[in-house]
Amino acid sequence: MALRFRFDTRTLTLIGLGAVINIVAGQVNTWLRLPIFLDSIGTILVAVLTGPIAGMATGLAGNMVWGLIASPVEAAFAPVAMVIGLVAGLFARAGWFRYVWQVILAGVAMAIALTLVAIPIQIFIFGGATGAGSDVAVAYFVHVGRTLWSSVGLTILGSNIADKVISALIVWFVIRKMPNRLATTYTMLKYNRA
Amino acid sequence: MSTLLFRSGTSWLHRANPLTKLCGLLWATTAAFVLPWPAAFALAAVLAAWGVQSGIGGSFVRRLLLLIGPLAIALLVIHGFLMHYPDSRAFGPLTFSLGGVIHALRILARLAAVVSASFLFVATTHPADLLKSMDASGFPPGLSYLVASPMLLAGMFAMRTRAIHDAQRTRGLALDGSFWTRLRALPALLLPLVIVGLLEANQRALALHGRAFRALPRRTVLDPPADSRGGIWVRRFLVLAAIMQGGLAFWR
Repeated sequence: MALRFRFDTRTLTLIGLGAVINIVAGQVNTWLRLPIFLDSIGTILVAVLTGPIAGMATGLAGNMVWGLIASPVEAAFAPVAMVIGLVAGLFARAGWFRYVWQVILAGVAMAIALTLVAIPIQIFIFGGATGAGSDVAVAYFVHVGRTLWSSVGLTILGSNIADKVISALIVWFVIRKMPNRLATTYTMLKYNRA
Repeated sequence: MSTLLFRSGTSWLHRANPLTKLCGLLWATTAAFVLPWPAAFALAAVLAAWGVQSGIGGSFVRRLLLLIGPLAIALLVIHGFLMHYPDSRAFGPLTFSLGGVIHALRILARLAAVVSASFLFVATTHPADLLKSMDASGFPPGLSYLVASPMLLAGMFAMRTRAIHDAQRTRGLALDGSFWTRLRALPALLLPLVIVGLLEANQRALALHGRAFRALPRRTVLDPPADSRGGIWVRRFLVLAAIMQGGLAFWR
């Protein structure tokens, strides 16, 4: 039996939009100088609006395109972005983007899931370092006697947990403020709009 | 905003078919994982020299050093002086391990080769040419759109973000101050951008429908990048070699 899967045209345009939001949100962050990444807002948004598969595709497209035009290292972390889309989509499908406490828990779950995927990538491909400031934390944990796996894991989780919670809260804010005329066109939102 | 690493030129690499270069990147990436580390360093050096010869030397070497430099320091410190290897010996308050340094060099060589190949590809391939190549080779239009739209929209959205930033600043939005002040400014900057983007996504989908962009038979490309029968065979060979190298890397 042939398995065929195809996004409809609007989902395709949303995936493109999500990937762009991931890229330009970083620009907003340079103005605000917040100690977070903000590079997953588009992924989470598309996952909440259209589901986990589209969320994964947004994460993949965003990282691959960003790797293609600016920073090739980002492409290696495409599976991490896909997991963010998957978890966000599953939580949204379960109706966990309705109240603030649910959104915070969804953000925490995303951070934990991405950590599990990012650890092997960072260790096997990058040897535990990425050339970013967080390498100092990895070095510190290794120096105090932790294994490389736990050092990398703690660093990734620590640097991502606030980012994913804030990103999820921003998406929650967006879907609450979305005009009804627009919101009613997204069937997935029926699970998450009070 | 120009985020592209592409540098225009007339070198052989600039003129080569983008899909052939993409297959070359795939081959170089998998080769970096199976070659001994001195050979991986040599591959990175050859690719860097090729970049210089192709007229993209300045930005190529600068980007390479910016990416690889901090990684090299972090890897050598973590593996050479902090991690415990069987040959670790005391070195002041730290330890030193030659095995750790060699392990760091092995990872660094691999990354240098992969990053060099990636930069060589992106610096000599304009995204529009890659898309034309994909269309001309029969890739699904949906896939081409997924690759194209973020690249083509990024500049426009960056300008729009700047306009929203300026408008909100004019209305008195504070972007300085405590962490909470700056965090509270985040929705004011992002919400208009996202809502307008969602409205446009609907219009864009209607426009694509209107142009029947998924209709069969596929549209022909007006000016596809040059390709040849030999180029197609080179791509097949590179993909086959990359699959075998990837398998070898996993098997080891």
